[in-house]
Amino acid sequence: MNARALLFILTLVVCHGTQAEAGVMDRLRGLLSFGGGKSKTEEPKKIMPRIRVGSFSGGTGASAQQALRQELLDSREFFVAGADEKADYLVEGTSSGGRVTGKLRDGKGKDLFQRSYAAPGLDENLKALTDDVIYTITGRPGLATSRIVFVSNVSGKRQIYICDAEGGEVHQVTHDKHGAVAPSLSPDSSMIAFTSYRSGFPIIRLLDLNVGWERGVTDTPGSSFGSAFSPDGTHLAAVMSFIGNPEIFVSDLNTNTAACVSDSVGAPSSPSWHPDGRQIVFSSDDGDGPKLYIVEVPQKEGESSRLYRWRTGYHFCTDPEWSPDGRHIAFTTRTSGEWTVAIKSYPNGGVQVVQAGGAEHPSWSPNGHFITYVQHGELFVHDLRSGNRRSILRGYGHISEPRWMR
Amino acid sequence: MNAAPPMMNRPAAILSSTLLSCLLLTSCSSMKMPAFLRNPSSEAVVYALGPRDGFTSPLNGSLKPACPALVFENADFQLTSAHQQAVNSLAQEMIQNKKARLLVAGYTAPNLPPDHARSLSERRALAVRQRLIELGLEAANVQTVGFGNDFSPTGPSSDVVVIYRQN
Repeated sequence: MNARALLFILTLVVCHGTQAEAGVMDRLRGLLSFGGGKSKTEEPKKIMPRIRVGSFSGGTGASAQQALRQELLDSREFFVAGADEKADYLVEGTSSGGRVTGKLRDGKGKDLFQRSYAAPGLDENLKALTDDVIYTITGRPGLATSRIVFVSNVSGKRQIYICDAEGGEVHQVTHDKHGAVAPSLSPDSSMIAFTSYRSGFPIIRLLDLNVGWERGVTDTPGSSFGSAFSPDGTHLAAVMSFIGNPEIFVSDLNTNTAACVSDSVGAPSSPSWHPDGRQIVFSSDDGDGPKLYIVEVPQKEGESSRLYRWRTGYHFCTDPEWSPDGRHIAFTTRTSGEWTVAIKSYPNGGVQVVQAGGAEHPSWSPNGHFITYVQHGELFVHDLRSGNRRSILRGYGHISEPRWMR
Repeated sequence: MNAAPPMMNRPAAILSSTLLSCLLLTSCSSMKMPAFLRNPSSEAVVYALGPRDGFTSPLNGSLKPACPALVFENADFQLTSAHQQAVNSLAQEMIQNKKARLLVAGYTAPNLPPDHARSLSERRALAVRQRLIELGLEAANVQTVGFGNDFSPTGPSSDVVVIYRQN
């Protein structure tokens, strides 16, 4: 290589490096790490805690014991020990008429919790007990009671639906005149923010799933869409265009005030919060295809914030969503002319293609082990640890925009 | 006899010019782009939307398009010369009637990610609105909406901006 070519490459590397963006530097790091050794983001293999399902007394005790064992196995969070095997934790209790009382002890016999579950069905009570066991032992939320919201046109118009993590218990949430789209669940899954077309114009509304009341968040001219709850559920990030440009706004749900956090000349969309509530990733098309940007959310009035492009190595990136631990961002891109779901480590690291062939709009499970997405109108859940995936809802109209509760 | 000016040897010249361009490029992030290189549309005055009261959505009734739909290609939102021509003729017609109101509605093809499609369609509608205002229409009389691919307009193409006349 001659001296001129070497200097040109050096110039390029220096230029990219000073912009504090990934891209070339990441790709170089990736190339350098091919020689061997673990990547920085790779976690050491963890040993699964061992749990034993003890006896459940009462009329539905035997069914409860069997079903709970299956729920814990399906969670893939534990090694479920047999009756005579040693375990780190023991769960036992009573069940009659579908009600369940569960008690969790550690290996030394210390009580960790005892709770009763009195929902109308045995299955529902056991799912709640499973999630409590998972959260107490691992500190991560379980999926048995988690919900996924999505849009489907099965009724003839695009409306919002909710289902469990297995694609069961599907309920229609909105019945808006011209349809409703772009749903987002609050962190405690008690509220849904969505874009409603009931007035004929796209406005953002909030629906309380427990008591059923609904209220508008934005009724500004232009369009409002792409809402995303902050991790503490007090703020909503969304795209609004009333100022004459589509921009990302953060609305305080208590005071109904909004602040613009982006500075776009193009078409921003799909904001998603970092779990610390201090940064938002979004997609923006400034005329050469949508790319991903990160903006710091000002914590005080008048505070300046940094906005920068986050390079993924792809030219078309939409629907970004931060993982629950903040260490990865999933997004939709395009490979070989088809939609593809990919994940990139944040802030730096390689890109992993999760699913190509038309997969789009990824959303993380609360424990970060799974991703849901749609492919050709079908809803999938993808296990990131094993790489296995399964269709959880098909033949339910054309499904789009799934969001897992956070 | 004139002495020859001192000459820098060739490798040194290349090295110094590369270092100079390197320095210039590394400071790009903090430099303001010269005016002649800037996109004129990014510097234009952006007109905020006025109240939407009294405007009818095409979803709530059949509205009459004020001109043929503006077709966009390649997921772009910049106005082409064909768009400019259509908007100019419409503006000339509309400027006579100071009370005339327009709703500029953007739609996209069904194959785009839904949220990106909403933003792109709104951006296109705003670009058309901006041009109409620059041509003399009152900002308060021109509203926009971006339907993305949530609804399809009638017509041969779905990647369009339709300008609806309001009653």
